[in-house]
Amino acid sequence: MELYAPILVLAVLAAGFAVFSVSVAPFTGPKRWNRAKLDAYECGIEPTPQPVGGGRFPLKYMITAMLFIVFDIEIIFLYPWAVAFDQLGVFGLIEMVLFIVTVLVAYAYVWRRRGLDWD
Amino acid sequence: MTFLVSPVANPGPTSPGPTLADFGHDPLWISIIKAVFLFVFLMVGVLMGVWTERKLISRMQHRYGPNRAGKFGLLQTVADGLKMGLKEDLMPRKVDKLLYFLAPVIIAVPAFLAFSVIPFGPVVSMFGVKTPLQLTDLPVAVLLILAMASIGVYGIVLAGWASRSPYAILGGLRSSAQVVSYEIAMGLSFVAVFLYAGTLSTSEIVAKQADGGSFALGSLNIPLPSWYAVLLIPSFLIYVLTMLGETNRVPFDLPEGEGELVGGFHTEYSSSLKFAMFMLAEYVNVFVVSGVATTLFLGGWRAPWPISLWDGANVGWWPMLWFFAKLVLLFCFFVWVRASLPRVRYDQLMHFGWKVLIPLNLAWILMVASFRALRVDNSPLVIVLMAIVVVGALGVYFRFDTVLQRRREQRAAQEAEEFDQLRDQPTAGGFPVPALDLPHYHGATTGLNRKEVPSA
Amino acid sequence: MGETVTFWVLAVASVAAALGLVFSRKAVYSALMLGVVMLSLAVLYAVQDAPFLAAVQIIVYTGAVMMLFLFVLMLVGVDSSDSLVETLRGQRFWAFLAGLGFAVLLALGFGNVVFAAPTGLAAVNQAGNVPSLAEAIFTRYVFAFEVTSALLITAALGAMVLAHRERAEAKATQKDLSRARFVAFGETGANPASLPGPGTYARHNAIDMPALLPDGSISQLSVNRHLARHTEELLEERSGELDASETPVAEITEGENSK
Repeated sequence: MELYAPILVLAVLAAGFAVFSVSVAPFTGPKRWNRAKLDAYECGIEPTPQPVGGGRFPLKYMITAMLFIVFDIEIIFLYPWAVAFDQLGVFGLIEMVLFIVTVLVAYAYVWRRRGLDWD
Repeated sequence: MTFLVSPVANPGPTSPGPTLADFGHDPLWISIIKAVFLFVFLMVGVLMGVWTERKLISRMQHRYGPNRAGKFGLLQTVADGLKMGLKEDLMPRKVDKLLYFLAPVIIAVPAFLAFSVIPFGPVVSMFGVKTPLQLTDLPVAVLLILAMASIGVYGIVLAGWASRSPYAILGGLRSSAQVVSYEIAMGLSFVAVFLYAGTLSTSEIVAKQADGGSFALGSLNIPLPSWYAVLLIPSFLIYVLTMLGETNRVPFDLPEGEGELVGGFHTEYSSSLKFAMFMLAEYVNVFVVSGVATTLFLGGWRAPWPISLWDGANVGWWPMLWFFAKLVLLFCFFVWVRASLPRVRYDQLMHFGWKVLIPLNLAWILMVASFRALRVDNSPLVIVLMAIVVVGALGVYFRFDTVLQRRREQRAAQEAEEFDQLRDQPTAGGFPVPALDLPHYHGATTGLNRKEVPSA
Repeated sequence: MGETVTFWVLAVASVAAALGLVFSRKAVYSALMLGVVMLSLAVLYAVQDAPFLAAVQIIVYTGAVMMLFLFVLMLVGVDSSDSLVETLRGQRFWAFLAGLGFAVLLALGFGNVVFAAPTGLAAVNQAGNVPSLAEAIFTRYVFAFEVTSALLITAALGAMVLAHRERAEAKATQKDLSRARFVAFGETGANPASLPGPGTYARHNAIDMPALLPDGSISQLSVNRHLARHTEELLEERSGELDASETPVAEITEGENSK
């Protein structure tokens, strides 16, 4: 608990500063209303009435997010394993080799099916 | 191999520094002083960092850089900051008001918090209170840094989403996909450090780099390097690459690829203080990754070799100077990279992150772990296991190598064949060819049996 | 003391966020409320002396899983509304069954906590939080740990099956495209070089205004044809307020393609 108190202090400072800057911004500057200024910036042309791609995005990003989860979890397992490696010894190494190899099967499959290729 | 097994303890003139047990005893006012110091340090750091970057990069490009506001243009960033405050704060019509407002806050706060576990120095006496020069430390300090990085990404995604502008949304998506991809490689590059340090606490990792032991050669004791940057070079190099990707800096500054995406996720944040928050967060993030590099790989606040011979180098307030020097040098490295390298393409970026850094990292981790296992347990089982791992890794590598080699040769053969065909019959395939009987071609092909080298 | 205060603050915050999650009308807001709940949980874990769990909660749930949610929300579009047609047959039954199973699991878990004698934090964390956790995962629960990898495979495969569309043929590289351009030039005389830039700055401050050629005529190639069409519509809309000196894009001559 005591370990976290200083983080809280810093968080209050940082958040206070950020919120203050952001909320003070509308009051410090001039206000000159102009329709064009309030449009989304699209290199000077009239903003497209529809969002990009009809508001939909390539599913590609979902694969990236999913693989990110997979590897994130792998990393989360790797950390305690690395920290306690000396106690776990060879048994730990074998376990982790098995684990990594199994995850790499999925990785190889995704790679093979060009899931890692970007167009 | 045996010298690895028994590192001769070489108790230096100073203790290795604070450990986790030294934290959590500060009275509140000391914590407040430290937190305020850290905050001011980062704010001034950003002001000076922007100036340093602009000045350095302009010298690299034979320009003067900012030199009007204040001596050497030192006040340029202050002037810019004030100007941002005095600019009109636009709230574009279509934006999602709440999130548009929150995104700069969400991106800035975690950047600051990540710095709270970076050690600046050993235990010092501050107004009569003995306290380590580090805001706080946790048993999972490095994880806190990663956690803050993963919250910071929200600022990017939400800024892009809330702006309701195609450039901003695309920039936000790209940027977040890039950051999460490089976060994996970054997380993996720490594993080898933890294998050696056996802890996730930053102060203890620094302590572990105090002394690398020594290699006894007869009566001579050769001290071994203690920095993990030296012991674990591949991890360090991978980390250096990922820290460029993680902070969206050149050559990985795709989110701001102004040629295609204008300003990326912050396109709709005009030049007001909201934009200043993004700028601030970017620079604080650069400091955070540099601080992590210093702490995990470059010996933290400990003095580098020639200075460390001096007994007082690693005690008192001096270490803050060494830490600061390392931080500045790393920051200059960022600037140097920015001045030297062009931006990579997005598909190249993702390929590099997913197909190169991750497998390399995993292979390296297994190798380090095998060596470590040898230290713990010298039984033949380990050696056999290691052999299997190495043979397996080599097998995979050679398999890839032969496949790639074959593919390269195939392509080269195909190109050569095509070239021959085109030489005999230049218009084959419908390519436009200038008339070969033009006056300046006369004699160009006679007497010479030169074969042109095809490109690529 | 501090723990109690933290608990009550976070309890209020997380319950409010959970209610916001359910009642918020925008999907992204719901997702963010979920994020707040997860963060509150993480802080609670930290306060309860489970630092590793707290960090993992933030990194995996707030960082990775929520990011997936946000991506998916963006994929389905900013303003799309929910379709209330049930496409899966009998899903209510199975959902009920799964819910029941989960409730039983929870009850068992809680029962275990309530009725078994507690070991105590000090005894469990003897070697420090992270190493003790590692001991537990990699010795006692090694089977569960290895099975996790199978789960991860399933996740990756699921994403591939759902979201990946394999190309029928290889994507044309820059080299292929360049070749194709030159072949087209040889056959039809189409310009292989890059197109001229628009008249931004020279005539107007927007990229949908064409550039002028040296002879004063308008370069039709300098405007993306989608933008040109867009401009045409605009010009029609505003034909009343149109400046007479401005040449509408619709009148651009075809003279240029003959080069």
